[in-house]
Amino acid sequence: MALVGAPANDRKRVKVYELKNNDWFDRGTGFCRGVVVNQEEAKILVSSEDDPSRQLLETKIGKDDGYQKQQDTLIVWTETNGTDMALSFQEPEGCAGIWDFVNEVQSRLQALAPDDGLSDDVNGEQNNTPILLPSPDLGNLPEIENHMRAASGTPNGREALAKFVLSQDYIRKMIPLVEMAEDLESVSDLHRLCSIMKMLILLNDTSIIEYVVTDDVILGVVGALEYDPDFPLHKANHRQYLSDESKFKEVVKIEEQFIKKKIHYTYRLQYLKDVVLARILDDPTFSVLNSLIFYHQVDIVQNLQANPSFLKELFGIFSPKEHNLQRKKDAVLFIQQCCAIAKSIQANARAQLYQNYINAGLLDVIQFALKHQDAAVRVAGTDILVALIDHDALMVRTLVFKAIQEKAKPLTDTLIELLLIEVDLGVKAQMADAIKILLDPNANSASIEALSRTNSDFLAKVRGSLPSIPQTDSFIQNFYDESARKLFQPLKDLEGRESMDDLTIQEVSLYSHLVEVLCFFIRQHSYRSKYFILSEGLAARVAQLMNCPEKHLKLTALKYFRTCIGLHDEFHNRQITGNRLFEPILQILFDTMPRDNLLNSACLELFEFIKRENIKMIITHLVETYRDRLETVTYVDTFQSLIMRYDQMHEPPTTQELENSFTSVDSDTPARPVGLVNGNKWGHGLKESDHEEHPYFTSDDDDDGLPSSVKPALNGASPVRPLVNYPDDDGDEDGMDILASSAPSSVAHSISTSTQTQVNTVESTAKSETSSPPERASEKRRREEDEEDELLATLPSSSSKRRASVNSSSSTKSLRNLRRKGSLSSTKDGGGGPKGIPIVIPLKSGGEGGDGD
Amino acid sequence: MSIGGSDLDKAIGQLRACRPIPENQVRELCYKARELLIEEGNVVGVDAPVTICGDIHGQFHDLMELFRVGGDVPDTNYLFMGDFVDRGFYSLESFLLLLCLKVRYPDRITLIRGNHESRQITTVYGFYDECLRKYGSANVWRYCCEVFDYLALGALVTGATTSLSPTDGPLADNTNIDSLPDSDADIEIETLNANGEIMYRYARNSDSQSSAASQANSNPASSSPVAPTPTRTGPAGTGASGSANGSKGNDTGAILCVHGGLSPLIDTIDKIRLLDRKQEVPHEGAMCDLLWSDPDEIDGWGLSPRGAGFLFGADIVKCFNHRNDLSLIARAHQLVMEGFKEMFDSTIVTVWSAPNYCYRCGNVAAILELGEDGSNAGFVRRSNGDQGGGNGGWVLGSNVGNGNNGGQGGNGNRRLSSVLGDSMRPREGPGRRYRVFEAAPQDSRGMPAKKPVADYFL
Repeated sequence: MALVGAPANDRKRVKVYELKNNDWFDRGTGFCRGVVVNQEEAKILVSSEDDPSRQLLETKIGKDDGYQKQQDTLIVWTETNGTDMALSFQEPEGCAGIWDFVNEVQSRLQALAPDDGLSDDVNGEQNNTPILLPSPDLGNLPEIENHMRAASGTPNGREALAKFVLSQDYIRKMIPLVEMAEDLESVSDLHRLCSIMKMLILLNDTSIIEYVVTDDVILGVVGALEYDPDFPLHKANHRQYLSDESKFKEVVKIEEQFIKKKIHYTYRLQYLKDVVLARILDDPTFSVLNSLIFYHQVDIVQNLQANPSFLKELFGIFSPKEHNLQRKKDAVLFIQQCCAIAKSIQANARAQLYQNYINAGLLDVIQFALKHQDAAVRVAGTDILVALIDHDALMVRTLVFKAIQEKAKPLTDTLIELLLIEVDLGVKAQMADAIKILLDPNANSASIEALSRTNSDFLAKVRGSLPSIPQTDSFIQNFYDESARKLFQPLKDLEGRESMDDLTIQEVSLYSHLVEVLCFFIRQHSYRSKYFILSEGLAARVAQLMNCPEKHLKLTALKYFRTCIGLHDEFHNRQITGNRLFEPILQILFDTMPRDNLLNSACLELFEFIKRENIKMIITHLVETYRDRLETVTYVDTFQSLIMRYDQMHEPPTTQELENSFTSVDSDTPARPVGLVNGNKWGHGLKESDHEEHPYFTSDDDDDGLPSSVKPALNGASPVRPLVNYPDDDGDEDGMDILASSAPSSVAHSISTSTQTQVNTVESTAKSETSSPPERASEKRRREEDEEDELLATLPSSSSKRRASVNSSSSTKSLRNLRRKGSLSSTKDGGGGPKGIPIVIPLKSGGEGGDGD
Repeated sequence: MSIGGSDLDKAIGQLRACRPIPENQVRELCYKARELLIEEGNVVGVDAPVTICGDIHGQFHDLMELFRVGGDVPDTNYLFMGDFVDRGFYSLESFLLLLCLKVRYPDRITLIRGNHESRQITTVYGFYDECLRKYGSANVWRYCCEVFDYLALGALVTGATTSLSPTDGPLADNTNIDSLPDSDADIEIETLNANGEIMYRYARNSDSQSSAASQANSNPASSSPVAPTPTRTGPAGTGASGSANGSKGNDTGAILCVHGGLSPLIDTIDKIRLLDRKQEVPHEGAMCDLLWSDPDEIDGWGLSPRGAGFLFGADIVKCFNHRNDLSLIARAHQLVMEGFKEMFDSTIVTVWSAPNYCYRCGNVAAILELGEDGSNAGFVRRSNGDQGGGNGGWVLGSNVGNGNNGGQGGNGNRRLSSVLGDSMRPREGPGRRYRVFEAAPQDSRGMPAKKPVADYFL
């Protein structure tokens, strides 16, 4: 913190008094100055007028001592030894200077001092002298400014000042001064008025802030704030802006005056926050403004939605009787704003609001808005819809059901149709998002707000852990039965298209949205989407998109395959290999190689993933089909490693491997880390579909030469049993194995207990590893894997099967678990936190490095 | 339909005046930018000379001041290390102007991604609201976020000279001429104020005695440099050590520029190439770390108080630099009151380019100029998206036996020799010229403020 500056060194002539026996004893006349000794200490010194070397007074300024300023020239206080002292200044300026100094020092000391709660209050009582300011006129503005500045330096002073200003209606008294100063063209007075007004608002007193936006004073207040001394050459035009009544759109006449007033107040508060005070707002005032705005808005919305005649008129605007198109448009925007505010009100009140709106005809409004010719209205319509689904997706789906039963066109179909024909690319994106949200099985549990703004890919990953509701399920079933075909028809129509070179901008945009929606679906509706994709042959169509010249569309299509492979779902993998869909992916790779660009990196990442996860089915397919081509790719070692993997897989088994054959079988499990990638969602999807899907999984197991012992049931039943039946001595020998293998169990079961041990092991391993370069770690990792294999051989095969699969998946995820663990440990041992937790790193890079060879 | 030549110049002119361009132009611009950026690697190759800039955070007028101090585009090459948006009131104008300049002069300006170039972060810290306010819908925000996904994650500057060619600028008022090194010395570090006046200068091979003295005397900047720790002997504000190795010559390692810092998952720069960057910034993993991590005075890795990324210590930086043949890591991401801060014996520097951050932090800003190594003629580096084969340049990792792009060029040999030659000795850092500047003068702009709500119903 910067030091408080000592007051200007002009000498201030004072008399020093000491209270003795109830009488003020004159200790002499001298010159007073304030001295900053250091960060924690400042003093007032008075040296004698007659003999400058003699100190009449030397007193340390304490943070709590009750200094008082009386009249304009007197400062009174009590020394720490109990003596009452006084300084009588010759000039008021001198007194003000020292007084400011004392205040600044005190506020700094208070800021530095540890907050000692109770005692502060006690002292506060003594300190809380009421403030008295002179009635404002242009002549005494400097004095008022100084007083206020001094008072606003301490919490008590601020409180007292706020009290005074409100009780004396001080702001109103100041307002006429603005115009007077303007008439006189007195810039310095205007600047002072502005500073005073800023100080008053930054007192952060709710009542003051509420007061300044009332009709009587608002223009005067912002008028003063137009002359910011920080911008001496500028004058803002707040008054002009705020006095423009036309900015208020009253779609339906609001009868209740207090609501109407509130609307204006809210608007002014926003203006203060965003414009007038934007640059100088401190955090407390910012949040006071924000909460005031929020409460006002809630009040307004609550009041309006509960007013039947208002609602009747509002929604009546959409009846054929109304011919004013602008009014219809404004009404949509009005409803949009209500819904936006409703997002933050309490659930009960929000439910009431939507119920009232729906009864009044909200759905028709949405249909109207979505088809409006003005893109802004379509945006508003989607906004309202999304807010509605966010509020209660079940309700919306019920409404859609109802529409279907009544043979009316459901919202989903409207959305789909509009997505397909929408020309405004921004609205198109928003509609694609709306479709995703409507069909998100977890839409009720997470904020849609978040979804529409977050990358949906990312969101799909985050979610997926919550069980979906039965009704949602049938809704989605219905979607795949009825609507999905319409949605993806344009993709299907690509079949037979000879050239991808002549796509229009609209088409390109549509295809990329469709592929993104499809990516979302295969994550969210795993098994229904599978049948759909299979029956419609969509995977091949997406692959076809990779032949287009638009690189971002190529990339989007590539992402679809990356998503599929990321699911570790044999079905998708078989789709891809069976249709030879790696062909276009490799084409992109060879087209871009060895250029260092985004497409190339995306390809490399895909193959790196296959390598890292050791997805044998794909590796086999790749190497058997494209071996020659892969061999030519040498600028990264990914492809050599893939080939090596393949060769290792197909080496004649050695005796040892035969003994341990179950381990190799287990690491074959294509769907191995499914539980981790997709959360329970996948498990859920799988369970409900087991009987239906089984044929798909098993039908050609025998053909593809993979070890067939892997049943999907294994995936669903993943690591229920904790993996702790590790022999103790082995664990001691090497912490890392325990770490990797027990990570999932710690997440699922006993985070707290296992954390402790894991952290310990991490630290001990880390100690030995910190200084060693990462390569060593990878060697070590490999060693450990070997050791583990040996260990596995000694365990009964039934349980070890499970163990192995879990173990391998957990090693890829060990970093994540460690992170979680790390944060736990840091909270646990408090301050010990970040220093020297060298953790993780060698581990993870080791894991990768090990795989990499 | 396309926003080409003159339209683009018109848009640049309009944005320079801090006036937003219409939504359809934004869309065109973003599509154009996307096509350019998709051709860039995750780590973009950049040739010196280049001026490296840190966080901007929507402080448009200060960005203009930056261009005034550092030279205008395209006369000066720029590399911006992310965080263009949020906090300030003109994120939109700032980012769109930079994007326009990128599209107009693709080889003159490089933009990489910061942690604020993300959907999640911008909804919280202002950019989303700003777009909504200025255009009435979130469309522009969507277009910009799409571009964010395509931004490179880092840049690698090569061909920087180790010693600065002296500027002939006058001395700043409070600079002691005696503290400056001889005019014929190799200048490693020089700090200039916004008027181009020399604030201090530091010669590479000056012995630690004299440099310590110069530090004491010159202790210059109006910017109150951090108190140097005793182990440091370079000028205040820099962490330069007097022990820089004595070898003459102009061969400096490359400079890695990244917004946040290192990742435990990334031990070589080549590994960055294996990321698919076109996505929202994830909550964890290599891509997240590159954008979120911070250097800190610790050993090894530590948990970041930010909740994303890691803290990393000097040992990590030195090991990484050596392994990747780097002389310096330049990063942004953290406010430094002096505008820049070198750490860990000048192996990493934080550059911060938003003066008076949030309009109230009172800090100064800095940009870092790296000069071109004139003696390195003939060492041709590929520019963005060029075919990498044949002419060296920064080629992916396993340089040995790369059958595909044939010749190793100068670079492969350079890397090899440097690794063999001077085992663990740190690379000689590039010559670094910092230009320090303060917030744009108040009178050159209106009062900064957000755009008010236009119409209101409620």
